[in-house]
Amino acid sequence: MHISEGILPVGWAGAWLLVALPFLAWGIRQIKRRGQTEPRYRAFVALVGAAVFIISCMPIPVPTAGTCSHPCGTGLAAILIGPGPTVVVASIALLLQALFMAHGGLTTLGGNIVSMGVVGALVGFGAFRLLRGAGASVAVAAFAAGALSDWATYATTSAELALALHGGGSLWSLLGAIMMAFVPTQLPLGIFEGILSVGACRFVSSRRPELVERLLARSSG
Amino acid sequence: MTQTFELFSDLFALRNNALSRRDPRAKLLACVAATVAAGLSTRVHLPLAVMAVAMGGMLLVRVPVRLIVARLLPPLGIVALLGLLRTFLIGSTPLGQVALGSWTLTATQEGFHEGVLLLARVLGAVSALILLSLTTPAHRVFAALRWLRVPQVWVETAMLMYRYVFLLLDQTADIFAAQRARLGYAGAARSLRSMGTLGGAVLQRAFDQADRAHEAMMARGYRGEIPFGTLGPTPAGDMLLLGAVLALLAVGLALGEGWLA
Repeated sequence: MHISEGILPVGWAGAWLLVALPFLAWGIRQIKRRGQTEPRYRAFVALVGAAVFIISCMPIPVPTAGTCSHPCGTGLAAILIGPGPTVVVASIALLLQALFMAHGGLTTLGGNIVSMGVVGALVGFGAFRLLRGAGASVAVAAFAAGALSDWATYATTSAELALALHGGGSLWSLLGAIMMAFVPTQLPLGIFEGILSVGACRFVSSRRPELVERLLARSSG
Repeated sequence: MTQTFELFSDLFALRNNALSRRDPRAKLLACVAATVAAGLSTRVHLPLAVMAVAMGGMLLVRVPVRLIVARLLPPLGIVALLGLLRTFLIGSTPLGQVALGSWTLTATQEGFHEGVLLLARVLGAVSALILLSLTTPAHRVFAALRWLRVPQVWVETAMLMYRYVFLLLDQTADIFAAQRARLGYAGAARSLRSMGTLGGAVLQRAFDQADRAHEAMMARGYRGEIPFGTLGPTPAGDMLLLGAVLALLAVGLALGEGWLA
């Protein structure tokens, strides 16, 4: 659920862009620094970004809503390349989707980066690291990363919408209404995204175990 | 996947027409100005005028109506929901009532007005964005962003990502078709398993491709930075056009908001 062009008032759109900028600078610095010691790193980040972009375009049926939605992919990306670079690839994916698919927008880029890139990546990465540190298996940690990052993204988006649009009405009643409206879609979707993250991690670790070890070492660095 | 390719591709932007020949910086700035003006407007007139001009531009360069509608539809779902929520949650002047079982929801005039304004803003801003994307190829947008001092690492990664999306889309579509042919999407449990496998397969292809892509880049002289084609000075005609668009937006906004009264 990207916030579409025109939905956020200009003041809020600018404010969210200001919030997103330091995280973008952090991610860009990480990519730059690692790119200097590992020449293949930039192509790798771009390809993981492209893969995540495609995964986020996969339609997933949501039986409770009788419709289709799509995963965010940022939880999985954060496991693979770390939260900083994930903010960067999420911002690029959001710009490309805004420009060429009319999903999201230019003025709402900041709000969407904060919800999907920053919150989604940090929550996904945090859940994965915390659970791995507590001795959970890669599958359990990947599921939690996928599901929690998805739910955190949608909760943040709902909060951004309610903050900007409550006008003279109650902030909490609008926030509650928006969240309730998306629960039938997002609750199962988060679970699907968790399962997708497990499937993706399992597939890669069964075919290329050395790659998963390398990635886990990388993302913890 | 094919639909994604059609929607995402900049094939239409690569055609030679009156709008695709305009300077990308001028078009990008005009588009941002139009979306900001639509967002600042508290009346529906300016956003709808932006939409009308953008639609006129798209029809002028013969963009198929099917493609315009396909790109315009996705944002309307969330707008409809937010418009409804505002109609029932904001304001105090009753407009009408809707009975939902034992509940009675009261729509308000203020909320309805806010909902309609939101719809107009989204239609205007999204139309301007669609016009930009259908008349400006991706590499020209990236060059304009670089000219606007967006960090080189970000623009480079964006260019690589845009290129790789099409490479991986092809491969993803092949795997998806093979999975479907083997009844991989028959039933919910199998669908989920297949979806996970598809995600993993796309990632594995991406990892393999990353190594090959790096070797190909090195063979072409890549030494850590992709050289950008420089954009020359903006042609005077395009500067005039940009000036006219900005002036019209400013006048439209001032008139609509009553700043000149």
